[in-house]
Amino acid sequence: MRNLKRLSVAVIASAMLFGACGGGGGATSGEESGGRSAGFDGVKDGGTLYVLTSQEGVSTLDPQRVYTGAELGAWGSTFTRTLTTYKPVAGKDGTTLVPDMATDLGTASDDLKTWSFTMRDGILWEDGSEVTCGDIAYGVSRTFAAEVTAGEGPMYAVSYLDIPEGDSDFGSAYPGPWLADADQQALFDEAVSCDGKTITFKLKSPVADFNYTVGLLAFAPVPKAQDTADQYGLKPFSNGPFKVESYEEGSELVLVRNENWSKDSDEVREPRVDEIIWQFGLDEAVIDERMIADAGDDQNAIVYGGILPENLQTVFGDDNFKDRRTDGFDGFVSYTMFNVESVSCVEVRKAVWLALDREALRTAAGGPFTGEFAKSFVAPLLAADYAPAKLVDGLNEDGTPNVEAAKAMLEDAKTACPEVYAKATEDGLRFDHPDTDTWKKNIAIWIDSLGAAGIKIVDNPIEPSKYYATINGDRGDLMRAGWAADWANASTVIPELFGDGGGFNYHNNENDPAFADFQAKVDKAKAETDRAKQSSLWKELNQYVIDQVWSVPGSATKSQNLVGSNVRGGYQWLPFGWYNIGGIGLAG
Amino acid sequence: MLFFVLRRTAFAVVLLLLISAFTFWIFSALPADPAALTCGKNCRPEVIEANRARLGYDKPLVEQYAGYMKGIFAGRDYGDEASSVHCPAPSLGYSFDRHECVTTLVARTLPVTASLALGAFILWMVIGVGLGTVAALKRGRWPDRLATGFSVVGVSFPTFFIGLLAIMVFIIWTGLLPFPQYRGITEDPAKWFTSLILPWFVLAIVSAATYVRMTRNGMLEVMNEEFVRLGIAKGLSRRRLIVKYVMRAALVPIVTIAGLDFAFLLGGALVTESIFNLPGLGKLTLAAVVNSDLPILVATTLVAAVFIVVANAVVDVLYGYLDPRVRVK
Amino acid sequence: MSTENRGQPVLSVRDLHVSFGTQEGEVKAVQGVSFDVFQGETIGIVGESGSGKSVTANSIIRLNFGADVRISGQILFEGRDILQMSENEIREVRGKGVAMIFQDPLTALNPFYTVGDQIGEAYAVHHPGASKKELRAVALDSLEKVGIPEPRKRIDQYPHEFSGGMRQRIVIAIALVNQPKLLIADEPTTALDVTVQAQILELIADMQRENGSAVMLISHDLGVVAEITRRVMVMYAGRMVEAAAVEEVFARPTHPYTLGLLRSVKSLESSRHTQLEAISGTPPSLINLPSGCAFHPRCVFAKDLAGRCSVDTPSLHRVGSSMSACHLEEGQLLALKESDR
Repeated sequence: MRNLKRLSVAVIASAMLFGACGGGGGATSGEESGGRSAGFDGVKDGGTLYVLTSQEGVSTLDPQRVYTGAELGAWGSTFTRTLTTYKPVAGKDGTTLVPDMATDLGTASDDLKTWSFTMRDGILWEDGSEVTCGDIAYGVSRTFAAEVTAGEGPMYAVSYLDIPEGDSDFGSAYPGPWLADADQQALFDEAVSCDGKTITFKLKSPVADFNYTVGLLAFAPVPKAQDTADQYGLKPFSNGPFKVESYEEGSELVLVRNENWSKDSDEVREPRVDEIIWQFGLDEAVIDERMIADAGDDQNAIVYGGILPENLQTVFGDDNFKDRRTDGFDGFVSYTMFNVESVSCVEVRKAVWLALDREALRTAAGGPFTGEFAKSFVAPLLAADYAPAKLVDGLNEDGTPNVEAAKAMLEDAKTACPEVYAKATEDGLRFDHPDTDTWKKNIAIWIDSLGAAGIKIVDNPIEPSKYYATINGDRGDLMRAGWAADWANASTVIPELFGDGGGFNYHNNENDPAFADFQAKVDKAKAETDRAKQSSLWKELNQYVIDQVWSVPGSATKSQNLVGSNVRGGYQWLPFGWYNIGGIGLAG
Repeated sequence: MLFFVLRRTAFAVVLLLLISAFTFWIFSALPADPAALTCGKNCRPEVIEANRARLGYDKPLVEQYAGYMKGIFAGRDYGDEASSVHCPAPSLGYSFDRHECVTTLVARTLPVTASLALGAFILWMVIGVGLGTVAALKRGRWPDRLATGFSVVGVSFPTFFIGLLAIMVFIIWTGLLPFPQYRGITEDPAKWFTSLILPWFVLAIVSAATYVRMTRNGMLEVMNEEFVRLGIAKGLSRRRLIVKYVMRAALVPIVTIAGLDFAFLLGGALVTESIFNLPGLGKLTLAAVVNSDLPILVATTLVAAVFIVVANAVVDVLYGYLDPRVRVK
Repeated sequence: MSTENRGQPVLSVRDLHVSFGTQEGEVKAVQGVSFDVFQGETIGIVGESGSGKSVTANSIIRLNFGADVRISGQILFEGRDILQMSENEIREVRGKGVAMIFQDPLTALNPFYTVGDQIGEAYAVHHPGASKKELRAVALDSLEKVGIPEPRKRIDQYPHEFSGGMRQRIVIAIALVNQPKLLIADEPTTALDVTVQAQILELIADMQRENGSAVMLISHDLGVVAEITRRVMVMYAGRMVEAAAVEEVFARPTHPYTLGLLRSVKSLESSRHTQLEAISGTPPSLINLPSGCAFHPRCVFAKDLAGRCSVDTPSLHRVGSSMSACHLEEGQLLALKESDR
């Protein structure tokens, strides 16, 4: 999942879905599930749920543009349905894929290159008209329209669908529904075709978990007649239990019940409240005070954005908040990429990891509440595919640097790869990072702790808005990044970050001696249809990457939240790292 | 007089043109790249460039500026032809970040700021001039000390502190007021009022402080003027003396500054709007800064400039009306 | 008017003390001043700045702003003590019984109203029933009387549209519009050009003749006072140091301070050649007054009195045909003055 666009500057720096994050004096971080608020004790139907946030608005309501974990879950659970989705329950089971608009989890051809889904009956738009197969196809086609959806959403439709490459902005022969001529449209219609209620996707290459892919809102239906292009996100058409009544950035988003949604057509969603009102632009400090005070309507409120570090002690140091607070992983893992081509020496890469003061970095970010030292590039939320890897020998558990081990490793490098050794110790390794306040602090820790082991770092701050565009072209030796899975399968982590053609692979690792072996295993895992077998393959591959140190894992980040005392069903929905907002109910 | 007004208007127009050009230039010179911000981290450079072209940021600055100006008078289409969005005149641009015509955004946020500004302005003038007058008349005695103390508090504590304090006391601790959720006056007058009452007072207290001192010092200064002594020597009543002599004279500079302060406030009361969650121009501007939303920034800067230029002209005319010594003949 | 047929005094000041509390201490501005002003009479009060002459004048209509003023003694206006009057009573006196002209005509007029309005206002205060039309007529008449050309046009103009001299005429018009019994002119010509000074003094004299008001002319310039008054009082450091007829003061001053003032007068005969002789030294601090005679530190004759001046405070007593507050005997001053030379 990609970060919130709005917060991109801050988020890239801290690699975290939610703005605020840990810190914490006496209170220690441990996972907390929300106590009574996570269950449904005393819940009644009706009422208004409030969502308080300091953000000026949501990043978007346009299904083809959403790429934020919390929003994918929020819009999916309220107003826009997809062929498949996740089971809305607490715990590991929440990552289970279930049919939504489709009758089952889809049918793949033997070569895994053709996927078909059949739609249920009786799925209606908010105006009472039927959601058709064509609406889904049209929705999918919107992803291709760079001039409208601007590449904000996930690009799987472009990379997976069997449409030739071409000269559209996204490198496809199909430029989206607005600009396409009849021939170009035919290319798309060939790849995504409708036969009555059955929609068939033809893919370029085998994808074993394409039924997860269609659970992304980018594969949600949009009725062409209602499409207002760039402005569709202001008032998207609903087919879920809620519909958008009004949305004004800086003010409110009001979701009300959609009378044309019926339980008969939807086995997944269980709406309870009548209305969900998002209140934007609140002061962060004020939000915390209101939530702590828990008075009036705030008892029916949840927060989008976490708890300020200075209030964590209050909330987690006092058992009165036990039934209202959550503390858990948000799905992100931060890490620092090596340019494997320029730092083509695994000994040097290991030395960097051993010498790095990860504890100082976490303290600078706010301490244990901000996250745990990552032992995998797969976040712990991805329960099925997560297993802590065996880290490099000599790495200190508590995150402090092991200078001796680092120096010893450097000695090995001196003989194994003298050129890279010279580069690391004399010329210095160029570190690319967004030029933010956080990173001004962090880079000093990098320079100091690596310097103690004899590794030199050359600071290369980049204007935050240009960061990813810059490293797309000109890469240093080390680069800062953060990532979360796009769906509940490590296929959106390991191949994306390290594999051939991975959408977020900045490692220049294609020529590494270990790469061919790695890629072969990745291809095998991608094509594995047995989920359990696939999981163990991902775990192996994660260990493989850790052993190669193509990247230095940072933190598996966490977030903390507090809900009003009437909130029920406020559990953390693992695939999205936030609440199943459409299923929240109110007690009292 | 007509010539004066015409000359003033022409001057204002030229000034606004210069300000708009300057704004354009300044914001385009900022390091943040608005095109890069339109697409996320796995965004291909080609997409950034395509988005740049779509937003019009690839064109020379002069051309961008000309297009912007044209939009104000003729309206404009934004985006690619097939999927473009039309903003009718006067178009202040289109925000691809908020997916709305900037004019619509300004029209929606301006009444909020105006509601805030007008109420706060009236309150602070009443509080400021009232307390200042009392302080001047009771100079050296406890009402003076109280008013002077108030003005020190108002000046010393930042708006956000007083604002947060007000929220704590009146909303969170005592629950006397609901948390403000702004509604238009025509939509829900009661909510309009309850959402504004605290911000009015907070803004008034912060701003009134200056006016307490200004009024007090102004009046004390005027009281030493010979013409006031002549007024006493004439046998005028105290009330007439204070109103027609002292306040009349002390208010001239206050009115001038108040006019500009009010105009400045109309451009957006950033902090107050943020704390009390009022979706006004100030918050719009702030969000636009964070998102490098150039069209909104240019528009809000222009709108604020218009207020200030107009207020300057009004104050000039008013000043002439209030003070015969500078009256134009 | 001669001193013989004075009749009842319009104003009797008896043992007036005025002091101001300040952070540095108590400023003793006026100490035990007594004098009379008779109907139709013109008297002058002369002294340096800080001598207490303006404070005395302001006290007559209680024009002392501020809370820290202490006044004692009596100021009898037409037999009633001003200092005992209520706010309403004193307001009746102001403008109607006693009118004032101030030093600086540039600042004495309210800049926000037309001169016509201001004259009318002065009239209206004491003629509550007067119609607007009547007020305008009165204002017009007053402007004409004080010699403002084109009064019909200028009545609607603002003070800043007039020259200094013209403005002082308007101030005089305001002062005289209610035909006061007493007109106090506090340095009425100081801020004006020399050529205009004479005109204003003449105007005051003319007006006085016409109205029959008593006039109290206050100035630091003995020469100016001499132009239109017969009787002069000299003040120094809050006390009256000499009071006499003008010709007496010029011919036979009895107080060294008066002598000093005389020397600084630019007389017609000597103005071109004689250097102006100021009194040496500076006026004393009114908070810490010198002991004995307050003038003694600056007095060239004090040494002739063998230290008496720094101990005894001389009271105002008759010396020849003058009243003087100096330890020197009659004729002694002039004798010493000659021997000095």
